[in-house]
Formats: sequence, C-alpha cells, structure tokens
Amino acid sequence: MKTLLKDVIRLGLILTAFTVVACVGLAFVNQVTKPIIDGLDARRTEQSLKNLFAGAESFEMVPEFPAGAGAVKFASAYLVSKGGQSIGLAVKAAGPTYGGDTVLLVGVGSDAKVAGVIVLDNKDTPGLGANAKNPNYYVDKASKTTFPGQFRGKPLSDPFEAKKDVIAITASTITSRGIAVIVKQAGDAATAYLAAHGGKQ
Amino acid sequence: MKRYLKIFTAGLISDNPLLMLMIGLCSALAVTNNMANGIGMGLAMTFVLLCSEVIISMFRKLIPNSIRIPIFIIVIAAFTTIVDLSMKAWTPALSEAMGVFIPLIVVNCIIMGRVEAFSSKEGVFACVIDSIGMGLGYTWVLLGIAAIRELLGDGKILGFQIMPDSYQPILFFTLPPGGFLVFALFISMNIWLKKLIDNAGARAGKSGKEAVA
Amino acid sequence: MNLVKIFLTALLIDNVVLMRFLALCSYVGMTADVGQSVGMGFAVTFVTVLATAATYPIYHLILVPLHIEFLQILVFIIVIAALVQLVEFYLKKNVPGLYTAMGIYLPLITTNCAILAVTFDNITKGYDFAEAVVYSVGVAVGYLISMVLLAGVRERTRTSPIPKFLQGTPILFAATSLLAVAFMGFAGLIK
Repeated sequence: MKTLLKDVIRLGLILTAFTVVACVGLAFVNQVTKPIIDGLDARRTEQSLKNLFAGAESFEMVPEFPAGAGAVKFASAYLVSKGGQSIGLAVKAAGPTYGGDTVLLVGVGSDAKVAGVIVLDNKDTPGLGANAKNPNYYVDKASKTTFPGQFRGKPLSDPFEAKKDVIAITASTITSRGIAVIVKQAGDAATAYLAAHGGKQ
Repeated sequence: MKRYLKIFTAGLISDNPLLMLMIGLCSALAVTNNMANGIGMGLAMTFVLLCSEVIISMFRKLIPNSIRIPIFIIVIAAFTTIVDLSMKAWTPALSEAMGVFIPLIVVNCIIMGRVEAFSSKEGVFACVIDSIGMGLGYTWVLLGIAAIRELLGDGKILGFQIMPDSYQPILFFTLPPGGFLVFALFISMNIWLKKLIDNAGARAGKSGKEAVA
Repeated sequence: MNLVKIFLTALLIDNVVLMRFLALCSYVGMTADVGQSVGMGFAVTFVTVLATAATYPIYHLILVPLHIEFLQILVFIIVIAALVQLVEFYLKKNVPGLYTAMGIYLPLITTNCAILAVTFDNITKGYDFAEAVVYSVGVAVGYLISMVLLAGVRERTRTSPIPKFLQGTPILFAATSLLAVAFMGFAGLIK
C-alpha cells in the first residue's frame, strides 16, 4: 500500500513537472507573440476602415449599436471622423449567403450613400460565390470594378436587388443576392443611427 | 551510417505516413487546395514532429512507462501551441487560411505514432533523422497533391498563372471531392512505386548473390 | 430557428468528414462493416457532446478570466484524454453491456481530430452553450452518417469488379470523392 502511494506521488510529481515546464515555456512564447497578434488585429480593422473612407482620421467604436433583426446581424459599428467632424459609420454585419454566413464591413457616409464594402469572411464555393472576396474578379472588366466595389457611392434608396441594380457574380446568384441584402440592411441601420444622432459629435 | 540512411528513406515511400500508414490524413487533404498552404502545413508539421521527437528522446529515461502517453500529449501540445502562436503573429495570412488545422496538429497520429514507436526507444540523432524523413515524406505528398489541385483547379502554381488564359479551371479539384480523388490516385501511384522499388531491390539482391556464387 | 440552422449546417453542409476532411483516420480504419461503423459513430457522438460540455465552461470560466487562453490547445486535449479514460472506467464498471459494444472504440477516440476540432469551433464561432451543444451533436451525427455511408459502399466494393489500379485503399477515396460530390448539393439548402 505504501509503495503504491509512493508511486502515485512520484508519477504525479513527474507529470506536474512536465506540465509546469510546458506552461512556463508557452507563457514565454505568448508574451512575445501576443502584442504582435493584437497589433495585427487592430491594424487590420484600421486599414479596412481607411479603405472605406478616404481621408478618415479617427475611429470610435459605437457602444450601443442595434444587433440587427432577422437573418442579418450586426457585430459592431465604428463612427468615422475627419478633422473632428463625423463623416460616416462603418458596420460589421453578417448574414447568410450560400455556404454559411458572410461577414462584411459596410461603410455608410452621412449623405446616405454606401461609402464602400469590404468582404471580411466568405465561405461560399471557391471559384464561384467566393469570388465575392477575390480582388481580381471583376463584375465589370472595363472599369475593374470588383463585386463589393460596385456598391461604392450607391445611394441607399436603391432597391439593392441582384441581377437588377446589383451586377451578380456569374453563376452565383444566391451569394450576390445575400450580400446585397446584408449591405442594404447594414446601410439602413447605419443611416438610421446617423439620423438619430444628428451626425454631430 | 547505412542505418540512418534507411531510417531516413523509410518515411519517403515504403513507410510513407500518408500513403502507406494511412495516418495524419485530415490535414493533408484539407489544406492542399493550393501550394502555399501545403508548404506551410508541411513545415509546421515537421517542426512539431522534430521538436517533440528530440525532447522525448532526450528525456526518455525519465519518463515512466505508465504515464508516457499523457506526457507525450503535453509535449506535443506545447510545441503545437508554439507553432500556432508564431504563425498567427508572423504569417497571419497563412494561419488564417489553415484555420483549425494548425491546432489540430496535436492530434495528428503521425506525431503520436512516431513518438511512441520510435523516439521513446532511440537516441536523439536517430530521432532527428527519423523526424526529418517522416516530415519530408509528409510534405512531398502534400506538395504533390497541392500542385495538381492548384494547377487544374485554378490554373496556377504558387499563385502564378501557368495555364494559358483560355484554360477554364476545373473547379472540382479545389473542392473537397477533388481532394479525395487526387489522394486516391496518389495512393495508387505510391503502391506502384513501392512495387517497383521492391522488384529492383529483389533483382539487385539476386544479381548480387549470383556474383558471389 | 437558429439552432436548427446550426444543426443542419454542421450535419450536411459542413459535413465533418466529406466537406471538412476531419476524422479521416477512423473513417478509413473503422468502416470495414456497417455494425462497426455504427458503434464507432455512437461512441464519437457520445464523447463529442461530453467534450463540449466539459471544455466550453472550462474555457469561459477559467481560461478567459485568468487570461491564459494560449493554453487552450494543451488544456483541451488533456481534458478530452481524461474524459475518454473516465468514460471507459465508468462504462466498464457500471454498464458492461454498453462497454462491450462501445469500449473497444474508446481508446481510438482521444486522437480523433473531429472532437478536438468541435471544441475549438465552439469557441471561435462564438456560440453560446446551447448552440455549442447543438453544433456538437450535428457534427457528430454527420460523422455517423458518413461512416455508415462508406461502410455500405465498402460492402459493395468487395463483390464488384474494380479497375486494377484502384484496388485496395484507393477505391475508398475514389468512392468518398463521389459521396462528397453528392454532399456538395446540400450547400444551397439553407437560405
């Protein structure tokens, strides 16, 4: 009995030693990589916001943005300003397309027009629906307009219907329709928010 | 020397972890729709395999038999985490493309299998050779599959256009079914290769004997 | 409604074996006959749900408050390994009938990547607890379905003429490729 207990303690100690060494090592690696990873995330958000709004200077997260109704959900929203003047709102919105939810960053200017759309995540069929996030896929080859690029400057009063006022991705009507709906709903929510808050901050 | 050469070459064809032993398949098929992912996965996997084999071989006298499996898991998980964090920090695009398959290296049976069967018994140097051989055996298959899938499915190799513009990419190959089909053909090819080598070996053995006689 | 959607997506659209290439080792290794594949499928379902129930609170109640999320991989795999051991002991002692049916599959489950992948997904997809449980059931049943499908195909391949270069394992993957084509058709199922 005594030897058994001794054995258990010995094995336990060895196991603990290995675990402790592993955890300390990982804590060290984490110390090095964490600031880099966090920095990357922040920089990526900032970069995409700057791509949406030319000349944007500062961004402020909107604390109480509505979560969205129905299939389209809003994850977060940023108020974008330039020279102390708010110039628009960017909404991170997710909604169903073909192979699951697609996540977009939709920028809306104070003039109730779409400032731009960036596809953050899309799991649709590669080569078909996934062309939504392909920077080399053009719905209009002459002007090199990408699928999300065509929303730039589009007034929110438009119907946003694929194959009508929105050029669809070839053979991917469901993806195109889904994304148009997300843009429209995010845009409407952003306009409503901007109107309610007077746009002056 | 000859022994090390044998350990090294075993992983490439005759004991190829993917095509012969049929282990570690998940990551091999999931990330091989383009070459860049294949290279990244191959390197990540080889790194974890090498480090885990070396550490376990170094401490093999200190690891009691009854708790060896949990200790192996801890060691492998630690190195997997290191790779995961490093890739997130320094190669974010690659890390995003492979998603959950980097953390899943921890349950890759190749590593567990080699650690259990090889490095818990052998010296550090033999383990280095073994892990590099196995890692290369894993990586070449990944690259082969990825090259075919990227070329046929996207008309590119490593992102460079290879096929003429008129080539209509066969989407099938970038999608999961294409991965399964290409893999089936690779196994078939490897069986054929192994037979070829075995036959050549047998013939060489025979002629060697005749020469002695 | 959302739960139904999560379930169907995990079950068919993102089928764990045919679309996401997970758990292929056991998919090839454990489908020699239908009975075996069903046994393995149920064992995996059982452990997946348990694993979700165990790792989800550990992550949100222990790792996050202590800011040690970087230990996720290490902690999750140890929890799953321990869980499998406990289930094995428990079944052996208290439910010997189930143990004889499921027991031989249990040691293989620790290194089944589908289970670990599900526990990671629960966190990265930001599910709440109910969604996580539904998701894990969906994935596991999807696994069961694909196992049984392949086992059925394998029984046929034994008596069918097969091209010489595909004999043995290659035909399994060629057949899987066709199954995967069929499953791609589910992609437009949810709107």
